[in-house]
Amino acid sequence: MAGKYVHQSILRLEDPELITGNVQFLDDIELPGMLHAAFKRSDYAHARIKSIDVSEARKLPGVIGVYTAEDFGDYIKPGPLQVPPPTAIKGATYVARTTMPIAKDKVRFAGEPVAIVIAESRYIAEDACDLIYVDYEPLEAVVDLEKALQPGSPLVHEDLPSNEAGHVRQERGSWEEAVKEADLVIKRKFFINRNAGAAMENRGIIVQWDKHAKQMTIWCGTQSVIALRNQTAARLGLFESQVRVITPNTGGGFGPKINTSLPDDVLITYLAMKLDRPIKWVEDRRENFLATTSERDQVHYCELAVKRDGTIVGLKDFFYHNTGAYNPYMMTVPLNSQTHTVTNYRVPNFLTEFYVVFTNQMIVTPVRGAGRQYGVFVMERMLDAAARELGMSPVEIRRKNLLPANAYPYYTSIIGQDFVEGVLDSGDYPTSFQKTLELIEYDKFVNEVQPKLRAQGKKVGIGVACFSEGTGVGPYEGARVTVGGNGKVVVTTGYTSQGQAHYTTFAQIVADQLGVDVKDVKVITGDTGYFGWGAGTFASRGITVAGTATHLAAQKVRQKALKLASKILEAPEEELELADGVVRVADIPSKFISLGDLANLANPMRGTMEPGAEPGLEAVAYYGPPYGATGAGAVGLIIEVDPETMQVSLEKMAFVHDCGTPVNPMVVDGQIHGGIQMGIGDAFYEELIYDENGQLVTASFMDYLFPQATDMPKKLVLGHMETPSPLNPLGIKGVGEAGAIPIPSVFVQAVENALQETGVEFDRDTLSPSRIFTYVQQAKGA
Amino acid sequence: MKLEGEHVFNGPREAVWEMFYDPEVLASALPGTQKLEMVAENEYEGAMNVRIGPVSGSFTGKLVISDVVEPESCTLTVDGRGTPGFAKGVGRVQFIDQGDGTTLMKYEGEMNIGGALASVGQRMIDSVAKTMIRQAFEVLDKALEARLAAKASGSEVVDFKPPSETEFAAAVAKDMAGGLTKIPEVRLLMYIIPLVAVLVLLAVLFRGCSG
Repeated sequence: MAGKYVHQSILRLEDPELITGNVQFLDDIELPGMLHAAFKRSDYAHARIKSIDVSEARKLPGVIGVYTAEDFGDYIKPGPLQVPPPTAIKGATYVARTTMPIAKDKVRFAGEPVAIVIAESRYIAEDACDLIYVDYEPLEAVVDLEKALQPGSPLVHEDLPSNEAGHVRQERGSWEEAVKEADLVIKRKFFINRNAGAAMENRGIIVQWDKHAKQMTIWCGTQSVIALRNQTAARLGLFESQVRVITPNTGGGFGPKINTSLPDDVLITYLAMKLDRPIKWVEDRRENFLATTSERDQVHYCELAVKRDGTIVGLKDFFYHNTGAYNPYMMTVPLNSQTHTVTNYRVPNFLTEFYVVFTNQMIVTPVRGAGRQYGVFVMERMLDAAARELGMSPVEIRRKNLLPANAYPYYTSIIGQDFVEGVLDSGDYPTSFQKTLELIEYDKFVNEVQPKLRAQGKKVGIGVACFSEGTGVGPYEGARVTVGGNGKVVVTTGYTSQGQAHYTTFAQIVADQLGVDVKDVKVITGDTGYFGWGAGTFASRGITVAGTATHLAAQKVRQKALKLASKILEAPEEELELADGVVRVADIPSKFISLGDLANLANPMRGTMEPGAEPGLEAVAYYGPPYGATGAGAVGLIIEVDPETMQVSLEKMAFVHDCGTPVNPMVVDGQIHGGIQMGIGDAFYEELIYDENGQLVTASFMDYLFPQATDMPKKLVLGHMETPSPLNPLGIKGVGEAGAIPIPSVFVQAVENALQETGVEFDRDTLSPSRIFTYVQQAKGA
Repeated sequence: MKLEGEHVFNGPREAVWEMFYDPEVLASALPGTQKLEMVAENEYEGAMNVRIGPVSGSFTGKLVISDVVEPESCTLTVDGRGTPGFAKGVGRVQFIDQGDGTTLMKYEGEMNIGGALASVGQRMIDSVAKTMIRQAFEVLDKALEARLAAKASGSEVVDFKPPSETEFAAAVAKDMAGGLTKIPEVRLLMYIIPLVAVLVLLAVLFRGCSG
């Protein structure tokens, strides 16, 4: 149905307050009697704890308490799993070694907490940390993925026979047959590096226990208030209703804030209750790098079976995935890599297998893209390698193999992070690819512009890549829509916001259903006091799942309003309309009743109600899809490489994206811009580096480089396509992570194209000027 | 991280060797050292203040001298821990008589660094270590001079004042900045800043004039 608001680029309702500084972030919150926490963290990546001497720290004036694992007793045990184990995947094996809230007897990564200090101020707490003396017996650190699985490697978890945390093998068709059928089998090895989420706002938590009301209030910029509430209640032996989790305005999530059983979540809630005083903890940037989760390194061994004309017969991808010292997030990231390898192309035979490996490094959980980009990287790089060997252009080989527009629904036979078989619901890849080629002016560049510039000695190059993005996965989300006595509407949901414009997009959906001004719809997210059900903000599922739940709830309210108004206005429902904040007879607009009055009439103070009727104009709805909706698109990139410094400048990028119905096109563009920035970081700037002793040597923005506004492409053109998803009434697909997914693939291809006379080929997803230089020298020397 | 290099001392090998074995001299060579005392034959314990970039704090540690071949060579093993992290290292030191009254000292070793020093100080560790070593040699040169002078004049008192912690830090900073002015961007800044100052001055003057 054509709405006044959905599909419009409404300015964001939350912006006036944000821009004028009238909002409250976590660190703005001050409570009377509040104490502060600081963590003493391990300097060693792998060591036995012989003893911890906290006596001097306890004596420091202003210190309320210093606690180690011993002081907590039985409360210290491995935390809960953040996602269920992959029992749905046949033959999958795994072990669960979940996060320890504080190190007990042994530290397994540099930065693991060994003690916590509670003091009157953060300064005193940190000074006290300096007075804690830990006697370590250093052990050899496990850092190399492949060496970690060899017999004789030191063990991260000594009760296990090896460092293998899990193994999954999935196959569609038969790889063996594919090899027989193929004219050529191409083999490559790829290295995928590790990245941080690096949100502008660091993690933090404030906990307050009211011992009279027996009520705990937690403020935290978490991506899942429900999980944090439930896990906290379970740990402390409370009802879920005794714990309220509120998200203040949050400065970015990007994945790491989905964790709800990291040391601070577990220890500070306990201590706030025990000490009967509110406690605040906010991490500093170094702690964020060291001890907030980051995402993956992987080593891939790939083989592509093709025919001489470029048709893909099969793909085999075998890889190792680093999960860090603990694996509370099980296999979500590598499963995403598996499910996104062949989703754009016709690959009749596909074998994918991975081993998850424990190492003495920080725990791995999703960061924007969550592993999808590496499946895409593998496929795009293999296509490029095949194109080289077959003498085809990158465009030709992709065109040959893209899934046609009539292939949907397409059953992939590969089970993903939602534990059901991935089904591509809708899309049109050939058209989005074609649109990208037009927007980047591919033919003109390759035939005219590039030769001219190369003759002048300029190393310019172009790349194109296709990608897909699984979004909107289950299990479910819910929303409540309530019309107030003032005629304005409140929407509450368990979903959380870190800047995705939910306050605007959800309002747009409701305003369309109830005929009110979008500014009269107030959205409350991420507060368990208002709404207590939901899974959390991850996997680009907000607008698809929570947005659809909001839509369904608003529809129910609309039905209630029509039914009640029909009685009051004495007109049949079909003749009524909701517009301008009233319900009225469409042909006789003077016969109306305002929504506010209707809401009041729906809640009589005396008298009787019809049996079965519900009071008020309010409804709750839940929505859970059978599988995720797949967004997709393509990207084209023109770059220039400085022949001496190997610095790469991004000249032009064309990004075409299909997210089904865009509720707010401006917001969609914003999500894509943000994703592109993170993708550029992934491709050229960001890299978390651990040395051979497991020391993180890039723990500040001096060393962990971040693309800035000046590093974005000089020209950025966005193209949109809409193939509505059949899975939900509005036809929506997610878009949160799209921008980040194809950038490493297209970047590497463009640099290779710019330096094609050297014959250089990159096997990594992150380049840098010095790396490009080294690879070029090797290619020349070879 | 690897450390290696060499230095020529203006003195006979025996004098250089003796100087190295004097904990007072060693302690003074690296100001910031709070104490360095012998606890057993060839074993020292000490405490030292360290600052690398934004990271600072105090270290306690052990220094063990082994494989002693007097006065030719020895192996130094260092194990230090403190609030900024930890540092472990092994180094081999050689003293070679050049035959002309001078001694060539060669050293090579490996350091493993962890904690805040490694995670935040990474890009500075290399250069700070090199300048600290260079400064330390300058101090040792002066100390050697004083000892030889004392010997020559037959006096017992060695007239040598090691630099204070601040003096040392200033020398290290100057040393590093000295390298800095070789960088073109920094050179450019050194021209631009006075230029800007002149422009500002002119602007102020003109505004003053235009009544």
